[in-house]
Order: sequence, then structure tokens, then C-alpha cells
Amino acid sequence: MTSVGTDVDRVDGPEKTTGRARYSADRVLPDMAYAHVVLSTIGKGRIRAMNTDAAAGAPGVLRVYTPFQPLKLYPPPPGYGETYAVLQDRDIRFRGQVIGLVVARTFEQAREAAALVTTEYDAQQPSTSLAAGSPGVTAPDQGQGAPPAKFAVLAPGVTSIDQALAASEVTVQGTYTQGSQHHVAMEPHATVAVWQDGHLTAYCGAQMPQVHAVSLAAQLGVEADRVRVLSPYVGGAFGSRVATWPDIALASAAALDLDRPVKLVLAREQVFTMVGHRPAVSQTVRLGASADGVLNAVSHKSDVAMPMPTVGSWVMVPAQDTSGALYKTPNLAIDQRVVPLDMPPTWAMRGPNEAPGGFAIETAMDELAVSLRMDPLRLRLRNYATTAAGTGRPWSSKHLRECYETGAERFGWSSRPRSGTVDGQWLVGTGMATAIYPAARFPAAVRVRFRDDGTAVVASATADIGTGAVTLLSICGSDALGIPLSRVEPRLGDSALPPGAPAVGSAGAGSTAPVIRSAAQAAITALIDLAVTHPDSPFYGMTADQVRYHDGYLDAGAGRSMGFARLLKLTGTAGVEATANGGPGPEAGQYAFHSFGAHFCEVRGNRFTGEPRVSRFTTVVDIGTVVNAQATRSQIVGSVIFGIGHALLEVDPLEDSGRLAAGNLGDYLVPVNADIPDIDVHWLDIPDTVYSPFGARGVGELATVGSAAAIGNAIHDATGIRVRDLPITLDKLLG
Amino acid sequence: MHAYDFAAPRSIRSAIDRAGGESAYLAGGTTLVDLMKLEVMTPSRVVDINRLPLKGIRVDGNGLRLGALERMSDVARHPGVRSRYPVVAQALELSASQQLRNMASMGGNLLQRTRCGYFRDTSTPCNKRLPGSGCAALTGENRTHAILGTSDSCVATHPSDVAVALVALDAQVELYGPHGRRSLPLGDFYRLPGNTPHLENHLLPRELITGITVPSLSWARHSGYLKVRDRQSYEFALTSAAVALDVSGGVVREARVAVGGVGTRPWRLPAVEQALVGRRTTEAAYEQAVAHAADGARPLAHNAFKPELLRRTLVRALTTVGEL
Repeated sequence: MTSVGTDVDRVDGPEKTTGRARYSADRVLPDMAYAHVVLSTIGKGRIRAMNTDAAAGAPGVLRVYTPFQPLKLYPPPPGYGETYAVLQDRDIRFRGQVIGLVVARTFEQAREAAALVTTEYDAQQPSTSLAAGSPGVTAPDQGQGAPPAKFAVLAPGVTSIDQALAASEVTVQGTYTQGSQHHVAMEPHATVAVWQDGHLTAYCGAQMPQVHAVSLAAQLGVEADRVRVLSPYVGGAFGSRVATWPDIALASAAALDLDRPVKLVLAREQVFTMVGHRPAVSQTVRLGASADGVLNAVSHKSDVAMPMPTVGSWVMVPAQDTSGALYKTPNLAIDQRVVPLDMPPTWAMRGPNEAPGGFAIETAMDELAVSLRMDPLRLRLRNYATTAAGTGRPWSSKHLRECYETGAERFGWSSRPRSGTVDGQWLVGTGMATAIYPAARFPAAVRVRFRDDGTAVVASATADIGTGAVTLLSICGSDALGIPLSRVEPRLGDSALPPGAPAVGSAGAGSTAPVIRSAAQAAITALIDLAVTHPDSPFYGMTADQVRYHDGYLDAGAGRSMGFARLLKLTGTAGVEATANGGPGPEAGQYAFHSFGAHFCEVRGNRFTGEPRVSRFTTVVDIGTVVNAQATRSQIVGSVIFGIGHALLEVDPLEDSGRLAAGNLGDYLVPVNADIPDIDVHWLDIPDTVYSPFGARGVGELATVGSAAAIGNAIHDATGIRVRDLPITLDKLLG
Repeated sequence: MHAYDFAAPRSIRSAIDRAGGESAYLAGGTTLVDLMKLEVMTPSRVVDINRLPLKGIRVDGNGLRLGALERMSDVARHPGVRSRYPVVAQALELSASQQLRNMASMGGNLLQRTRCGYFRDTSTPCNKRLPGSGCAALTGENRTHAILGTSDSCVATHPSDVAVALVALDAQVELYGPHGRRSLPLGDFYRLPGNTPHLENHLLPRELITGITVPSLSWARHSGYLKVRDRQSYEFALTSAAVALDVSGGVVREARVAVGGVGTRPWRLPAVEQALVGRRTTEAAYEQAVAHAADGARPLAHNAFKPELLRRTLVRALTTVGEL
């Protein structure tokens, strides 16, 4: 009986809920010193002088590093994060940049001394306005066969998207804006670095432990095989632990210089500027349609704030997998631009392109439905796409229509009151939107090892960033080996393990699950090989095809059956293992790959004071095979909560000075329990065997996409007010 | 956070003796410790007053008396407070989080510092934190800032909810200092910022709040606190209103109204109280009564919505309490 698709408790749940799980900052090593960073307090310019005398003389201080007395560091490899190395020059690129590191015997001493460092600057006026810088320049190429940032697909005889729009019977246009947002994972970024015999072990949160190791080695100027990253427990990531931010290299370099372990835990406020955040973006969507709602033209232009060229490397492309993939249209134009600004680093955040992009196109579709006086669900069904725009490729598996239908039925969409109702002090409205997220598949290697105590190890250098990946290793290992979950020991979060799938792009599960099956099969083959070739084995001398493996046993028929633990003991073998590799095959060039979903929600706005409160939410998704029902539900609920934050609360204004005005958890509002209604979640559970033989595409980010639009559309239904600037706060609803 | 001396005296007299200079009293610590970590407050000595005999909740014919060290959560769940002064219980329950309310004291609540982001960030100018350094909020992000009682030196709001309710109920603060006991109306306890926003109240050096009293008011049973904010919980008020109504025959006989989130101190609205007297308990009547509630407001670049929101907050609060 497989546990695939059932509700499985986290295998690391007891460790996490009892505090026994040791996160990076929980590591305490003998002789460990504590570091604290000093950050710039101007938005652009150059350091003229720094006075570190008081800090250096403060109790317990071991060393103060600054650009005048630096640790030697190199930039991360291109694309791995920022484009410069901290402490190597006196340039201030943004406010909140690392300009110093104080190391002391205790945390309190390091923090007190860091506050004693004074800095004189030659300040310049930073460039901080997205609006003033728009339109920007065409976004840099994303590489890896990605479509260009700017392209158009036009019907025969059509010369431009403007012409196609002009020829449409009905057009709508909207500009949708949002400010900076932050991941605010519960665990602040933390590193414990320790060197031994020229080899570094860094305990830090990593979505891709091996990529972290490669980047860290490059920043330290050492060979990659001298760096090991250990990241067994990660307190949330959402994209904030893909790149290596300066804290890891700083702690590691200081540990080398001082020849003792160093711990560096960022204060929450420091995470806001040192760790890349989701940049502000302005998007203009234009839609052209016939009077009966058939799309003729879709145009999606975006301007994204980007700290180029000194800081940024990841580029947001909001339109590609949203407007570029959602609807059937003969004419499509996408123009994704960036606006260089002097601001803290930016990076991918959950649904990095698609959450903002989805808000724009799915709000515009609602505006079109309103303009056509058409049910917004019917408008979407009327423009249902069966092949991907531009390429004509079919989807590997697409059941969005069933998501719409099932979601509408669960929510009661067809019997909803039209154009809002009033319930006491509250205006009530309903809205819907589509979710879409690309289904990438990454190469992954997995090792399966049978051990003589009857357990099996399933190991891969992927990461569990709170998603349940470690439990997935157990579930899939148990399924492939036919042994109970309790007899599988999952291992991940270690760069020394076989190269695993990165925990990014919602592709960790989809990329790993099929390879666990292959690795289990290879380990079984190796086990049978041992059984028939080892003289002490009761199966000795048989051919491999005479011995069958099932449920932890080797079986040659006629009562000749033996558990693998006993076989290993009889043969004096501690373990038998095999490693398998897997990744996308030729199907990658023949199909389009996305996951899909449909959101329906009810929002109430106070008729006096405007507060919008989400009161009901239904989300139905098509993600292929579900591995762990409980974790899947959690992921979807979490994604919708992200959407509620996106729609109603989350913004960090960038001031003219380059200061992020809400760089702390008191001012940067994320939803609390009271903001979250019961969220009704459903999935279709239709395997996508084109994507992989296992059929699971992954779920992490999908439901983040479109959820903000569904909320905004419901607010419009309730109040008649269309808010195109996120978050939709009560002051925008006072009418 | 810098190193500091620490004392935990057992008597009020001893606490006052140990205070002085750059000292700070520590009660629940929910403001002080937070601001010490941010280097916003840097006392050289911390005097822990938690051992002092400043507890006790009394509800009787004379009104309400709260010891300064009563925790917010204990006051909020006291049956007498809940039934006779619901506006106080509600203001407390809508404050902070349960964990903070379990720690924070009533006296400390009245003395909590503003949530202005510039006050809390030592890398920006702030006249309240560093007199004469300037006010970054005037030209910075000021969506949450005050519109009433502001000056060119400071536009920070007073953050307390329960202080708004207590001001509406004519509460007094009992003080104990080197020169003995005294008491002040809470409404007069707070200063306007003027040119000295670092001086927030009329506490004398080393003086302690020992208790809070509220005079008896039978119709305070018909009261309520409305807090308007972006997040449904665990956030400070954009606007708030403490309202008590004495209604008979569908007509307001007497009213108490104070507002929060808009003023540099808890803001009583006597003109609105007077305008309510004799009006019917209808939405239209409330709208007329509060029409001038925000007169004199000085909105900033990002909080121009607050005067209108304030009026609507009052109408909503009055409507809700009027229906009780």
C-alpha cells in the first residue's frame, strides 16, 4: 500500500515542533566567535572615512573589517547574486549595503561594537523612481532558450499589435503597479562557518546547496571541492535563499582569517536590504476582443525596477508565462523592460514573474469582462488555449477547464449575487482569476542505499525549505522500495550528496520523484546482483531474473524469500547502493509545460471605512500526480495567503533617499491569521506522464499566481472601485 | 544595545532613589527592550519595577482603579472592566498580540513611544529621538502619521489604544515621585510636540506612574472601541475611536468621544460630544455631528485620506455603539 497521494505527516515534524531541529543559527561550536554587520546609511556615493577605533577597543572585539581593512572576497559568479564583492571598494551602491563586519567573543559584544563604527560619506543623489525611469531598456536576455524579453506573434497581414488593437471591436487598457516586496521567511539569514584543514563547512539556508557551495568557493577564491554547505533545516525561503547574499562569504572569510568558527545572524532589518527582494514593477496590459468576447490582441508591457548594473543579476519577466501563455489570441506582443535604479538587491520571490504578471493580465481580463458585461469565467473559457502561443506546441497535460468547472461548482459561482451585495456594514463581492506556472524539470541525481539494519537511505542534494521535500524523499522511497516510511532515512540539504534538484521554480518534487524511482530500481538491481553472486547468499548461483524484489524482500519462489537486511548480514555487507540521474528528455522540445489553477473568492469591504477582508476562497489546481496530500494542501493554502498579502498588505516604499521605508516586520505587513479565511483547496490529481513517468509537476508557487487578481476583482465587484495599484488598502476604497 | 546597570528594587521609594540621570524604568519591557535593541533608547541604568506593589484591579461605585503593573491581558479579561467599561477592554484586546498583552503593563502602555519609522531608525533624523536633528517624516513616508496636534518638528502619532479609551472616560494617572504623590487628568498628562517633541508628557524626573483611575460613569456600559487598520490584527491604528453614549428614547443625552491614530496624543473631541447631544441615533445624525471632527487637521503627502477616514470611523463607531 503506497502512501503516495495520501496525507503524510512531516517526517521531521517532531524535530521541528519540539525545537530539536537545529537550524543554522542553532549551531554552537567550540571557540566560536560572533559577527555583526555594519550597513551603509546613504543611498549612493562613496565612503570618505570610517572610524573603527571605538569598536576595535570595545570589550570582546576580535577584529573589525571595513573597506580600509578588508577581508579578501571576490564577486559571486555571474547570475549567482550580486555583481560586486563586499568590502573591496568604498563605493556605496545602495542604502543598507555591507560596509563593515565586527567579530567579537559574544553576539552582544559584536552588536554593541558595530554600533560604535562611524562613517563619513561623499553622498550622491540616488536614482530611485521607477515612474521617472520608465520606459526602461529592454530586459537582458534570460538565456537557456528562453523567449526574448520583447517579441510579437501577429496574424497574417497584421503589421503591429497597435493595428490589431485598433481593429478590435472592444478594447481595455490598464496600468498595474506594485512596490517592492520581501520574502520575509521566518528564519533570518544566518551562517555558521568553520574551517578544518583548509576545508570549509558552512551551515546556512540554501535552496540549492551545491550551487551555494560553488558560489561561496568563488567568493572566497578557493576550489569548489573545499567547500561544503550543510542546510538540513531551512526556515522558509520563497526565493530568498537561491543566491548567496554577502553574509555567508563574510562569515566564512572571517572564520578563515581568525582561525576559529564564526557565526553571523542577520538582524531582521538587515535581511530587508542585504537579501534580494521582489522589485517594484509597472505593467500595462491592453486587450482587444470582439463584442462577444473573442480575444484578438493581447499586449503586455512591463517596467521593472532593477539595481543595474552594480548589484543585480536576476531579471523579472512578468509577461512571458502569464499573458504569453494563458489565452488563445491571434495577436500577442510582449515587451519587458528594466529601469536601472540605485536600490538594494532584487531577486526572485515566490511566483517571481508570474505573481505580478498574473495580477496584471487577470485584472485586465476582468476589466474586459465588465466592459463586455460578460461572466469573467465565460470570457476565459471562450479564449481557452490548447496550444502555446508562438510555438503551436500542445501542453504535456492541461486540465484548466476542469479546474474552472470544479472550482465554480465548489464556490457556487453560478449562483453568486451579481455586482455585489450588502451585509450589514459590509459590501460583499466575488471574483475569480486563473493561475498558471511553468513546469520546469531539472536534472537530478538520487542515491538509494539498502542497509543491513533493514532501513534504506534516499539521498539527494536538494533542499527542504519548509515545503516537505524531506518527507517526499521518504514517501517516494517507501513507494519505490515497498517498505514502510519509518524504514526510509531521507537525506538532503548537503552539498556533498549526489547533485539534487534545486528547490526553486516549484520543480524540486517534480524533478526528484521520478529519479527516486530510477535510483530505487538501480539499487534493487545491485541488491539482486549481490544476492546471486555472493557465496554466502542463499540465492548464490541463480540468475538475476530468477530473483524478484518486492516489499523489502528478495524472493526466488518456492518459499525462498529473505528480507534485504538479513541478506546483507549473511553476506557481511554493510550496504548496497546505486545512484541514478534523471532529467528532461526529448519531450522538452515538443510540448509546453505548465501547471494550472482557478481561484474564486469573496471579499467584504466595510462601507464606512473601506477595509477589504477576504471572507471565502476556493482554489482548484491541476498539478499532475500529488505526492503528499497534506503538504500539497499546505502549499496551496500558503500560496493563497501569499496572494492575500500581495493583494492587500505587502509593500515597502523606496524613498528618494534610497531608503526602504518599511524594512522591518512592524512596518512591512504580512497577513496574520485573522486576515485568512478558510481556504477551500482541491486538486485534480491527473498524472502528467509526458512531464515525467512519475507524473508530478510540483505545486509550490502556482496558487500564488492569480490570487491577488481574484481578490482585486472581488473588491471591484463589491465596491465598484477598480484599484490597479497594489496593495489595495482601505484609503483607496473610501470612494 | 549597550551595557547598562541593572537594579530590581522592592519598594517604590527605593525605585525612585535608584532612578535618575540616564535611567529607565522597566515594567513589561515591550517598548523599552525593543527600543534598546534598536539603540533608540540607551539608558545607562535600568530599574526593574516589577517587584513593586503596583498591582490590583478594583471596580466599584467610585469607578475603576488599575495598578500600574497590571498586565494588559489581565485588565482586558476582568469581568468588571468588561461589563462596565467595555471600551477599555476592547481597546486592550485590539492592541498588539496576546503575547505582548501578557507582558505589557498598563503604566507602560501609557508611556509607549511612537511607531514612527524614523524615530525607530537611528540612521535618520528625528527631533523626538535626537532634538534638533530634523523630522524625516515631514517629507518621507507619512501615510500612518498624525494630522492633529502636529508641528513642524514632529508628526508622530501616539500609539496607545487604551489611552484613547481612558481619555474619553476622564481617567486620571496617579504619580509618585521624589516629592510625593500627585495625580493628573490623563488628557493633560500628554504634551503636544511643539518644538520639543522629545518631551512627551508631564512626568517629572524619577517619577513613576503607580495607578490609573476612571471615575464612575454608569452609561460607560454603552461604549466601544473601533480600530481601523490595514491588517485585521497586530497592527497600530490608522484611525480609532473610543465612544460612549448615553441614549434614551433614541436620542443621545450625553457622549464621550476620543480618537487615536490621528493625533500626536490621544485626542478627545469635545465639540463632537456636544454636537451629538440631543441628536437621534441615526447614521445621518452622526454624520452631521462629526462633520467638523477633523477641523484643523494638517494632512501630509501620504495621509490626505485621514480626515475623511476619521469622520467615517466615528460614524461607524457611533452606529455600532448606538445599536447596543
